This record gives sequence, C-alpha cells and structure tokens, in this order.
Amino acid sequence: MNILVIEIDSPGFGSSIQDRGRVGWRRFGVPPSGCMDDHASLWANRLLDNPADAALLELQFQGAELTFLQDAWIALTGADLGCNIPLWRAVHVNEGDVVRFPQNRTGLWCYLAIEGGFASESIFDSKSAYPRGQLGRSLGASDLLARAALHSFSLPAGVSGRTVPWSEPRDYSKPPPLRVWPGPQWDCFAPAQRERFFATDWRVTSQSDRAGYRLSGPTLEPKPSEIVSEPVRVGSVQVPENGQPIVTMRDGPTVGGYPKIGWIDAGDLSWLAQCRPGQKVRFRLAQ
Amino acid sequence: MQWRFYGPDAVLIQFGERIGNEAFECSRALIAELEANPPPGLIEFVPAFTTLLLEFDPALAQDLNGIVSCWIDRFATPAAHPLPQARLHEIPVVYDGPDLDHVAEAHKLSSEEVCRLHSEPVYKVYFLGFAPGFPYLGDLDPRLHTSRRAVPRTRIPVGSVAIGGEHTGIYPVESPGGWNVIGHTPIVLFDPSRRASDHHEAGAFLLRAGDRVKFLPAARSTS
Repeated sequence: MNILVIEIDSPGFGSSIQDRGRVGWRRFGVPPSGCMDDHASLWANRLLDNPADAALLELQFQGAELTFLQDAWIALTGADLGCNIPLWRAVHVNEGDVVRFPQNRTGLWCYLAIEGGFASESIFDSKSAYPRGQLGRSLGASDLLARAALHSFSLPAGVSGRTVPWSEPRDYSKPPPLRVWPGPQWDCFAPAQRERFFATDWRVTSQSDRAGYRLSGPTLEPKPSEIVSEPVRVGSVQVPENGQPIVTMRDGPTVGGYPKIGWIDAGDLSWLAQCRPGQKVRFRLAQ
Repeated sequence: MQWRFYGPDAVLIQFGERIGNEAFECSRALIAELEANPPPGLIEFVPAFTTLLLEFDPALAQDLNGIVSCWIDRFATPAAHPLPQARLHEIPVVYDGPDLDHVAEAHKLSSEEVCRLHSEPVYKVYFLGFAPGFPYLGDLDPRLHTSRRAVPRTRIPVGSVAIGGEHTGIYPVESPGGWNVIGHTPIVLFDPSRRASDHHEAGAFLLRAGDRVKFLPAARSTS
C-alpha cells in the first residue's frame, strides 16, 4: 500500500524521481540514469534506514516548493538550496508543512529521501526518471508523490536525533582533485597532452546536464581524433573534435566515437556532478 | 583478441579491427558465451562494432586481470551456441528529411537516387546503442557515406531515418544528434509499455542485434 505524502507546488529547475539507476540495459541503448550524486543520495536513505535502492526526490538548482500531505520522516542531503529544513539529518515534518528551496548556495543536486522510499513504477529494474526515453517520473506542478508504506521510520528509544558522521557533509565549492584512470584511448594522447589535462583547472560550462558535463580549458589534440564507435562508461572523459572534454553522465549515450583520455573514479564522480557552471575542477592520475 | 582496462573494475575487449561481418559474427559468439558462461562478478556488458565492454563488481578489481585472461583463453575455443534467429523487418520510410538535399548534393545524386540507393539493401542491425533501441545499421552503399553534421542538431524527432558516416539508423526517441536526416518512419522502435508479460522487458525494443531491416519507400501521408 502507498500513502500520498507530497504535493509538488513547483518543480523549480527540475525535479524527478531517481534511485541507483538501471543495470543491464545499456546493450539496448538505455542509459543507467539514477541519482547524479550517489554519495548524498546514499546518506539520505541511510539516515532513514531505507533500503539502498529506495527511490528519492532529486531537485536541481533551486525554485522547488513542496507541501506535505501527511506527517513523515524525511532526510535532505546534497546541494544547499536555501531550504528551511536542515541538511544531512533525519527530520520529522508535519501535515501541511511547506518546504521551499528558494536559493542555490552550493552544489547543484539536492536529495529528499522519505521513510520507505517514494512509490513509483519500476521500468527496466529501476524507478529512475529518464525523460528522453519517457521512463520514470519527471515532476511538474500539482503532481502528487506517494511513499511506500512497507517501512516506517522511528528513532530508537532515548535517541533525540540522527545526523550523518561529521566527515560526510561536503563543501561542494571546494572539490578535491578528482581521480582519473587511463581511458581506452590513453595512448592517443601524447605525454604533453596528458600533462596538460592534469595541469589544468577545467571550467564546467553551462552546457552541462544529466547526460554530460562539458569542460572548457586549453585544447586537447588526440591522434586520431575519431575512433570506431565503442561503448562509453558513465564518468568517461571524451575529447571531441574541438578539443574540449565532455564527461559522460548518467543519462548520456551508451556508445560514442570520440577518444577517451580517462575515466573518473566512481567514488569521485559525485563531486563533479555537484559542480555548478563556472566552477573549476582538477584531475589527478589514479593508481 | 586484445583487451585493456577501462577503470579498475571494467575492461574493453577489442575483437576486430574493422566494422564488418567477421567482427559481427565474433561479437555474436562472445555475447552467446557471456550469456552461457559469464565470468565471475560480471555486472553488465555492452557490445559495439569491434569492441565489448565488461563491467565487474568493484570488489573483484584486484583479481580482474586473471578473471578476464582466463575467460578469453577459454573463448579461444568457443562452444557453439545457437544464435537467435534473425528476423526481417520491413520499415516504411517517407524520404522527406531536412538533410536529403544535402546528402544528394554531396554525392552529385538526385534525391530520387538517394532514396533508391538507401532503400535497396537489406541492412543488418549490428547493435543497439546511443539511445534506447537505436539500431546501428551497416552495409550502407558507399555512394551514400556522408560525414556527420559539423554542428549537431539539438532536436531530432522520433522516427527520423538518418545517415552518419558509413552507417544508417533510425532515431527511436527524440534526441540531439549529428546524423543527416533523410526521412522518417511511423514505425515505433521503442515503446516501454510494450513489455512482455513474462517480465522480459526486451520486448520494448522492436529490433535486436542480428535482425535485418528493409526500408520501403512510402508516399507522404496526406492526413
């Protein structure tokens, strides 16, 4: 049974239901999708003792506004969108509460987990929205969200609150150098090209979305500049003809024909996801 | 057969140098072997023209070298697995795309000749990729090979039939893309609601790797 729990007053720049994403469907051209920042979303579910694959509400940038139709336990993690609810802790909200996300301060993606997880149809083994393929739910004004009632949360007796360990909340304005493993076309990049890649403060451009993040900086020149189309992993750093890298993100194409200098470690990609347009990011060689 | 790491928990196997039937048959045999005898810890595989991506449980990264070498050695003497039968799909196309004239001019052909050359062969679906259900169709007439557009279109409508380099394909969902659009089809290639009741969701995809496609020139609908 499901319980209606939230009405969307405004989706802001973008609101959708996401979980850990799809596995096993890329061979049909279906990208994995799922939460852009899997570190923040993991902690939001953990705070409420939710299963790791429980579906969350992913909010982008700012402007969302929600009304609670029922009392519920929630947890907010990720980007600071100026919300009137504190981040990185389990919070009890009441029927009639209005929760607003008026102003982006740091990061880009904010996660709202609810006890039991959001109820939504699973397609290709996931509830994640992928609008281009008309999968899952992208949300609009006056949409209603239900939670799965199988699991309810309560704090253990005698405990007054729950927060994540002090080391877990991240300052998204200061990403560490991201670990990059050599990509399949590492050899197409001369040593000087690789050096340039690791020595540059790359700027995330505004042409970035759930499919890919475009970076701007000095030009990289792989030889050859085009390859036979081959599978592309999420987190790949591709270099197209203009020499400006594109990092494949969760809704990105499953194959591509540009040389890939590297692959961003799965543990670090969430840092890049939270970089806002204009923000700088650096890479270091993983080992 | 060569392979290299693609991150600590994945490898890219290169089973061919050139796009073509030989590489295609090899990819079919590899996939059949993967399905029958997957290497331990395999999470997902993604095939393309000459390469095959294998992603593993990250906990096994330390042992990946051995796992992959062992699996590939065993494949050198592959067991013969029966391959699913190829199906022939006849797909009506209205040749009225925005890049039809460009393709014709680039090859000094009339648009009627482009239409004839494009609809003559029986194409093979090499693999699905890029977008849900997007078929990479090989064996395009060399007279129609056309490089991708310098500036990709931000929006290519569902059902667009297009040429990219030496391939042709059909856009199953609306998406950005750099291929030259020469026509459109009303046939639905990807329908997530069209799932078989036995939970085998692959029914959402009209085409499968190995299937054949024949385009039938159609008149523009008057409705």
